[in-house]
Amino acid sequence: MNFFLSYLAIAEIYALASMSTNLLVGVTGIFSVSQGAIFGIGAYTVGILTLNDWASFPVAMAAALILCALTNLAVALPALRIAGDYFVVTSFGIQIAATAVFMNLTDITGGASGLAGVPPPNVFGRDLDEPGAFILLSSIVLAAAALFFWLVLRSPFGRLINAIREDELAVTAAGKSVLAAKVGVSALSGMFVGLAGGLYAGFLSFIDPGSFDIDASILLLTMIVVGGARTLAGSLIGPALLTALPQVLSVLPIPSDAAGPLRQILYGLMLIAFMLFRPQGIAGRRL
Amino acid sequence: MLFLDLLADGVVTGCAVGVVAVTFTMIYSTTRVFHVAHAGIYTVAGYSTWFLTTRGLPFWLAIICSIAVCAAVGALIQHQLYTRLARRDAPPLVLLIASLGALVVIQNLMAALFSPNILQIPADWRVLTVGIGSIRLSMPQILLAVSSLVIFAGLLAWSRYTSLGKRTRAVAANEFLAEITRLEPRRVYITVMAIASGVLAVPGSLTALDHGLQPYTGTLVLLTATIAMIAGGMGNLFGAFVTSVILAALQTTSTLVIPGQWSIAATFGLFVILMIVAPTGLFARRPR
Repeated sequence: MNFFLSYLAIAEIYALASMSTNLLVGVTGIFSVSQGAIFGIGAYTVGILTLNDWASFPVAMAAALILCALTNLAVALPALRIAGDYFVVTSFGIQIAATAVFMNLTDITGGASGLAGVPPPNVFGRDLDEPGAFILLSSIVLAAAALFFWLVLRSPFGRLINAIREDELAVTAAGKSVLAAKVGVSALSGMFVGLAGGLYAGFLSFIDPGSFDIDASILLLTMIVVGGARTLAGSLIGPALLTALPQVLSVLPIPSDAAGPLRQILYGLMLIAFMLFRPQGIAGRRL
Repeated sequence: MLFLDLLADGVVTGCAVGVVAVTFTMIYSTTRVFHVAHAGIYTVAGYSTWFLTTRGLPFWLAIICSIAVCAAVGALIQHQLYTRLARRDAPPLVLLIASLGALVVIQNLMAALFSPNILQIPADWRVLTVGIGSIRLSMPQILLAVSSLVIFAGLLAWSRYTSLGKRTRAVAANEFLAEITRLEPRRVYITVMAIASGVLAVPGSLTALDHGLQPYTGTLVLLTATIAMIAGGMGNLFGAFVTSVILAALQTTSTLVIPGQWSIAATFGLFVILMIVAPTGLFARRPR
């Protein structure tokens, strides 16, 4: 039972992160492979603040949200000056720079060995150290975030960012500010993934740079490609399937050092296959 | 002099990065695909040369085979992936995700087949060095610098003087017009991909010979190359090559002042600043 609840909690955390990726990649059409980095910043913020007893869990979460929104803004700003494909370069760069920071700021982040013993989330004086208790928190957060995501997509702002993906020039011609909308969606997407990162640190109580490297970014991208872009259902189905995949693979007799590359190969094949045969994913709309 | 040694090292590395940047620019300006899987081709080059030399082939023959392998993989990606997607009017984002997928598959296939650890190409002359003034360069480094310059000059000449090169520039300038004048853009794309991927095998193998090879190093090389492409002024082959050399030289010499693990972050920071100051790049052609 605990095993299943742990899986569910992880899937819920990744669902939050997927909504973030979906807003950025699926809806606005800004390609990003730095989602893993922002996810990591959320996790490290909560991890460092609660581990050193500098802040309570809710305060640390708020800090993570703000920091992730700001970082995503800083990432997006130079790319907004230059068009389209260049964002790929900034995004790759941010991911690699963030991994360097997580690895090398040894005093704060614990370096390659990571941070162990992050305390479980403490909400209203209760320690949520059991998956059964944690799942309550993550479900409530996910439900609230999902409602928000759904509302944003149906708001005028949602239509605006959809229009930016379709035709940036037309949006500008209609007198809307593309820059302001992109800044807004970057911050919003940063907050979603920051939320996910904070919960991740609190739930697993151990974080290391390996969980937030470029492979993590690719996993987050694969989740929305498989689940489907631009829908709430897509953001939930993708993480649910892909967080189950490592469990399924671990049953198969594969030598442990080939398991990592093999999993990545599967993700890569999924990216290609979905783009070729079903660009809308399982429950999404056309990319 | 440590500084001179680092500078020489950086310039040599820069030549290899320059070939990546120039071939990437060729592909990008012709096919309009942001071909991140190019880093995968670079990786394939090193591993196929390693595989063939460990099976007893002399190094020069292994490199020639690698060129063929890389050209084939590049043409395959274009023919089986990009052309199919383009036929369906896929937006750039879809092509990009597919390209990323191809990169992930290639890199991890190498890791799964040949282990993710550092591999060394067996060639005794790898450690020979030659002194030029106070600088010492290894044989692979000298070969790398010379071959990269030759490839760069060759690509420039190819694009300027051969009929195929002219056809490529015509397709890059206006695909629609090229289509109706029967220049067959689709076939040109495959040729460009094959040539760009094939020549990549030379710096890919020589860098592997010099530093050993790992499956994921190509990503960092490609990142530097794409930064050079943008910072050098889009579509400008000369700018891309020169900026690559400058960037790589900055990366190695900066280790004197900042610890090595930060050098990529520093390069990237420099890029962000440059993009804010001069978004069109260093060697951008003025509109005529």
